[in-house]
Amino acid sequence: MTKRFRWRDNPNVLAKLIDANNLNTWKAQEVVLKPNEACAFIVDGRIGDILTEKVVSNIAGGFNRFIGDMMGITAKDRRLLFAMTGPADISIPFTGNLPSGSNVNGFANIRVQIRDDDIPKLLNMFANSAPMLDRQRLAEVLHNEIMMRVVNPTLAECEDEIKLRSSALQDKFEMRAEVELRATLSTLGFTFLKAFMTLNQTDNEKIRELQAQLSAATNTEGAHAEALMERIAIREAATMRRIECEVNIAKAEAAGKVTVEMQSELKELRKQEAQWEAELRRDEGKLNLRMKESSHKTEQAMALFEQVQANKRERIKQQMEHQNQRMDKQNDLQVKMMEMAAENDALTPEVMQEFLRQQTAQKAVDGSGIEVEAAQAAPEQYECKGCGKPVMVGWNACPHCGIKL
Amino acid sequence: MPAVPIEVLPYIRGIQLVLSSYEGYTKGKRREADGLIRDEIKRAGTRARNHLSNIQDIAFKSDKMDIAKIAKLATSEIDNLIEDVDKSVTGMNHAFFSGARSVKVSDLKKLIKHDHDVIEMVTKAINIANSAEHAFSTSTPDEEVKNLVQQCQQMITSCQGFFNSRNKILGGLRQKTK
Repeated sequence: MTKRFRWRDNPNVLAKLIDANNLNTWKAQEVVLKPNEACAFIVDGRIGDILTEKVVSNIAGGFNRFIGDMMGITAKDRRLLFAMTGPADISIPFTGNLPSGSNVNGFANIRVQIRDDDIPKLLNMFANSAPMLDRQRLAEVLHNEIMMRVVNPTLAECEDEIKLRSSALQDKFEMRAEVELRATLSTLGFTFLKAFMTLNQTDNEKIRELQAQLSAATNTEGAHAEALMERIAIREAATMRRIECEVNIAKAEAAGKVTVEMQSELKELRKQEAQWEAELRRDEGKLNLRMKESSHKTEQAMALFEQVQANKRERIKQQMEHQNQRMDKQNDLQVKMMEMAAENDALTPEVMQEFLRQQTAQKAVDGSGIEVEAAQAAPEQYECKGCGKPVMVGWNACPHCGIKL
Repeated sequence: MPAVPIEVLPYIRGIQLVLSSYEGYTKGKRREADGLIRDEIKRAGTRARNHLSNIQDIAFKSDKMDIAKIAKLATSEIDNLIEDVDKSVTGMNHAFFSGARSVKVSDLKKLIKHDHDVIEMVTKAINIANSAEHAFSTSTPDEEVKNLVQQCQQMITSCQGFFNSRNKILGGLRQKTK
């Protein structure tokens, strides 16, 4: 049964130089080299094959080599140089200062790789150190150089924290690391792949963070207070609105009672009004009826008055006609007399004078007759006691105001 | 393993100009041929990378960051190619136990042609990188240097694609046809 040899039992191990003479030779041992592992054989001081992706059996030679050693016919010095060929990240802590004096600390992360052809160069690493190389050991080896050649110059070009976090600074760091470390890494058997800086917070950034946190806390407190005030205002508004609604409801209820009372009172008033209106209509009807009766009497009185007046006018007209006829006869007579006197030559001034005197006397007689008649008609009228207008004797009521006479 | 087809002999001759021990995927030498091709790609990639690293160093020292950045991108691309090649599939020793199907003539043709194309591309990349370094060291304008570096990067990317296709063919051999 072949024994499996394991050259690496810690993931931090990158390379290991093994003296094959220290391995058991009489018992077969094999090692499986995976795709990310390689092994260089150094036999009697010469670099031999570099193997990978292979199962190396009898790595220590086995029983045959044990016999050969005893007989002195095999190589005197055999060394196995194992290495991991995959990319490996190493972190180198650093502390520096910006030109402003601010302290900066962090890690310089470098990704390196050991390629198959470069495995023998690892002998340079093992020349003055232990035959095992791990990440920590590699970081220690590179620390001073990377600090002096890469980190400090990069920080010296950085003016403030803003540039410290910029991608341009990372680019410069990577370029500078590659340029400055290539020779060293190549000598040690490594290929530089990538580099970047991991920076912790600076003092100024901590201060700004604290300020931001305090500001955020203040703003948060302010927001809480504002929200609380708003909530209180909403509650206050709701309470006020509820009270207002309750007051309005109470008012409305009170107003409703008043309205009912007013409506009942209004009904009473309307009832009273209707009663009064009915009475008024009744009185008006009575009055109208009375007025109709009164106007009927007045019309009767006026008809009688008109009849009397017509009779009177007829009588006066007859008198005037009679008088005119008499006057005409007298005038005719006087004309005839005057003509007779003129025919008889008796028309003297004395005759004419006598004639005019008689005619004047005649007219005076006619005129006094009219005045007597007017004086006799005047006592038939008198003034009404109610309205003061003239009424006739014998009327029962005044035609102007309707009162009984 | 069938014999090497006659049609791909010119390709084999072309590869042999670079790799003298290359004989195509003849019987018993399939993994060896694969290893030779891979080693050659890594070696050629490293050569191109060295040229570009020189350009990057000088550009950074002379404060030409734009050229340095482009050169850095190209070197990163070459690192990716080398890593792809280093960790690519190889195939098994015993087809019967591994479940792989037998290699056909068409597979061999494809593989050899791919090998030829990849070697040709990576050789071109070396030439372009060399030209870029030469141009950078003379009074050639920076734009031309950048163009050359970018051409080199493009060639490496194409080479990476071709190599992945080759891996696909090799991977196909591990599956038996139904």
